[in-house]
Amino acid sequence: MISCMGKVLRVDLTTGTTTVEKIPDEVYEAVLSGKGLGAWYLYKNIPAGADPLGPDNILGFCSGALTGTGAMMTGRWTVVCKSPLTGGWGDANCGGYLSPAIKQCGYDAIFFSGISDKPVYLYCDNKKAELRDASEYWGVDAVDAENMLREAHSGGKIPRIAVIGRAGENLSLISGICNEGGRIAARSGVGAVMGSKKLKAIVLAGSKPIKCADHAKVKALSKELGRKIHKISVPKGLGGSLAIGGIGMGKSPVTLPLDGSLTPMLFKEWGTPSNTPMAVMSGDGPLKNWGVGTPEGGGLKMALAYNPEKINKIEEVKYHCYSCPLGCGGRLDLSDIASTEFYDTHKPEYETLQAFGPLAMNSDLNSVLHINELLNRAGMDSISAGNTVCWAIECYENGILTKEQTDGLELTWGNYEAEIALVNKMINRDGFGNDLADGVKRASEKYGGKEFAMHVGGQEPGMHDTRNDPQLAIHMAAEPAPGKHTIGMSIQYGAMSLCDICSWAPPATMHSKGEDLEPTDTMAYISKANACYSMLFDGIGGCYYAEMMGVHMYKTVDFINAAAGWDYDGDHYMEIGARIQTIRQMFNVKHGYAPADVKLPKRMLGKPPLSSGPLKNVTLKTEEQIALHWKAFGWDEKTGEPLPETVESLGIGKLMEV
Amino acid sequence: MAVKKYPHFHYDNCVSCGICVQACPVGAIDLTRRGKSGKYKNNFPEIVNDRCIGCSMCATSCPMDCINMTADYEG
Repeated sequence: MISCMGKVLRVDLTTGTTTVEKIPDEVYEAVLSGKGLGAWYLYKNIPAGADPLGPDNILGFCSGALTGTGAMMTGRWTVVCKSPLTGGWGDANCGGYLSPAIKQCGYDAIFFSGISDKPVYLYCDNKKAELRDASEYWGVDAVDAENMLREAHSGGKIPRIAVIGRAGENLSLISGICNEGGRIAARSGVGAVMGSKKLKAIVLAGSKPIKCADHAKVKALSKELGRKIHKISVPKGLGGSLAIGGIGMGKSPVTLPLDGSLTPMLFKEWGTPSNTPMAVMSGDGPLKNWGVGTPEGGGLKMALAYNPEKINKIEEVKYHCYSCPLGCGGRLDLSDIASTEFYDTHKPEYETLQAFGPLAMNSDLNSVLHINELLNRAGMDSISAGNTVCWAIECYENGILTKEQTDGLELTWGNYEAEIALVNKMINRDGFGNDLADGVKRASEKYGGKEFAMHVGGQEPGMHDTRNDPQLAIHMAAEPAPGKHTIGMSIQYGAMSLCDICSWAPPATMHSKGEDLEPTDTMAYISKANACYSMLFDGIGGCYYAEMMGVHMYKTVDFINAAAGWDYDGDHYMEIGARIQTIRQMFNVKHGYAPADVKLPKRMLGKPPLSSGPLKNVTLKTEEQIALHWKAFGWDEKTGEPLPETVESLGIGKLMEV
Repeated sequence: MAVKKYPHFHYDNCVSCGICVQACPVGAIDLTRRGKSGKYKNNFPEIVNDRCIGCSMCATSCPMDCINMTADYEG
C-alpha cells in the first residue's frame, strides 16, 4: 500500500535491541494499518496466556494508513496490547501529532516486547532508533516530562513524544499514555503495560516523506471538507440552550436520524463539552453512579452547571490535532480560578466532565477542571477513575465503606474536595487509593459493593447510558475491548448514512424508541455496520468525529482509493472492518477470554428500571441482541467465537501465515 | 544564482490543521501565531527560527493552498 511505509520497528527491551521488519503488502490490503496492523501483529506474536505485565506482552504504537497523505482528520495513533485490565484485547487511541511522526521515522508501527532493567525511552529519527536512559524523567509527570524531552531534543525537526505519567509508572491498571501536554490514549490499561516495560517515553523526530498515490485528489477532497468546516459557525451564547435540546431529545418518543453536519457545528463551537448539558437532560449521561434518572440527578440545575459557555469563556485558544480543520480541543486559562494550583489545562472532554460531575452529583465545574489536569499529568483514564470514585462514594453512603477505610475521607455525593483527595491518592497509590488505582472491579472484589461497581469485563464504561441507546449496549458488552462508547451508537448510525456505501447496511430511519428495545436482525446488521466502519477508521488513523460527519461529508471511500491508488467500493472496505474486528475477537479467544462471560452490570440493563426521567421503566434485552450481532458477524451465537468458515471466508487463516 | 524562497502564509483560509508544521523537515514552522479564525481564537503557522531551507514541502502539503513560496532574498 503506497501510503504506508511497509515496515515496522520491533524493540526488545530486555536485550535493548531494535529490528526493522518488512510487512508484506497483502497485510495492508487485508487490514490496512493502525488497529488492523496491530491486531494482525499481536495475534501472531503474543503467546497464549502471556502475562499482560510480563515480557511476552507486546505494546504497539500504530499510525494510520492515511496519516500523512494529506487526508484530513487522519491523525489518530492507536496503542495496542494485551490488556491488563480485562485480560483480553486492549487498545486505546489519541490525537495530537504522534501518528505522522511514527511514519516519518519510516515505520507504520513500533512494537515493544520484553522488559528493561532500568527506565528508558526510545529515540528515533531518519537514521537511528535507540534506547536511552530515562532515569531523570522517571517520576516526572507526563506534561513536564514531555516538555523536558522536547527541550532535550530541540534544534531540528520538532520531536513528537508519547509518555507515561505517575499512574503508568505505578502500574495502575487504569492508566494511559499521553502526548501534547496531557492528551491521553486512555483505555485498556495501556499505560501500565508501558510502565511494566520501564519504557517512559518514545521521542520521534523523523522527516521521511509519506507517499500518496493521487496527491491532487486527496488534496481536493481535503480542501472540500476544510472549506465546509471553515464556514460552519454557531451564534455565540447558545450553550445554555443545549440543555433544552436535551429535554426535547429525552421526551421525544422517536429516534431521528440526524444530519452529519451537526457534529462539526457542535464540536467546533464547544468541543465535546457541548454534550454535557444535553446528556444530563436527555438520559444519555449516567447520573449518580448510573443509579437515578434526571430529576434526582440534579435536573436543569446540574445541566446548567456544565453549560459549555463557561468553558468557552476561559478558552485561551483552540487546539487542533494533526490534519484536523475542526479543532474540538482547546487550552483553558485557569489562572483566575483560585481553587486550583494549575495555570492551564486542555479543555476537558465530555467524558471527564460527566464522570466527575453529574455521575458524582458534583455541580462544581472548577473542581472538574482541576481533576482533569491532575489526571492528564498522571496519565490516568478519567472514565475508569470517575466510575471507580463513584463506586466508592456509593459504598460510603451505604455503609459498605467506613471513614476509617477511606483514610478519613467523607465520600459523600457532591463532596468535590473528597473527590480530589481520592484522585490524588489513586494517582500516588496512597493508602485507600492504592486499592482503587486498579479500577472498580478489583476494588469491589476487595471491599464488596459489587452491585455498585460499574464495569464490563473489567473495564469501566464510557459516559453514555446504555438504557438510552440499546445499540450502544451491544457494543459496550460485545466489543472485543468491552466498555467502550466509541464503537457504535444509534445517534452516530443515524448521522453516518452507511447504507449509501454499503449494500448490507440497513438505512437509518425515524422510528419509535420502543422499537430499539426488541431484538431484530436489522438491529444486528446496524451494530455490525457500526463496528466495521469504526474498525475501518481505526485502520486509516481516522477521527471518530469524521466518522460521525457521515459518508457524504467525510468521503472515506474516495479518500482511501485516492491515497492508496485503489478502486474498491464501500463493501470491500466494510469487509476489511469485519476482518479487523474478527481478528480482535480471535485474540480474545486465543487468550482464554470468553466473550460470553462478559455481562453488562444490571443497572446498565435497567434491572430494575429507573423510576423517573427519560429512561423510566426501560429494560434492555441486550443478551438476545448480542446473539444476533455475533451471528451477523459469522461468529458463534452462544460463545461469540468466530466460526471457522467466517475465518476462512475473510482469509484470516492465510493472512496469519504471512 | 539560486533564489531562496520562503513560505508566505495566507491566513484567511487556513484551518490550523498543522499539516505544514509536520511536513517541514527542519522544524522551522510551528503553530504559534495567535489570531482569529472567524470568531474563534486560533493558533496559525509561522516561521519560528532561521532553519527554513526553502524546500517548499509546507506549501506542497497544505490542503487549503494557503502557502506560497516567495523570494525574500537571493542566496
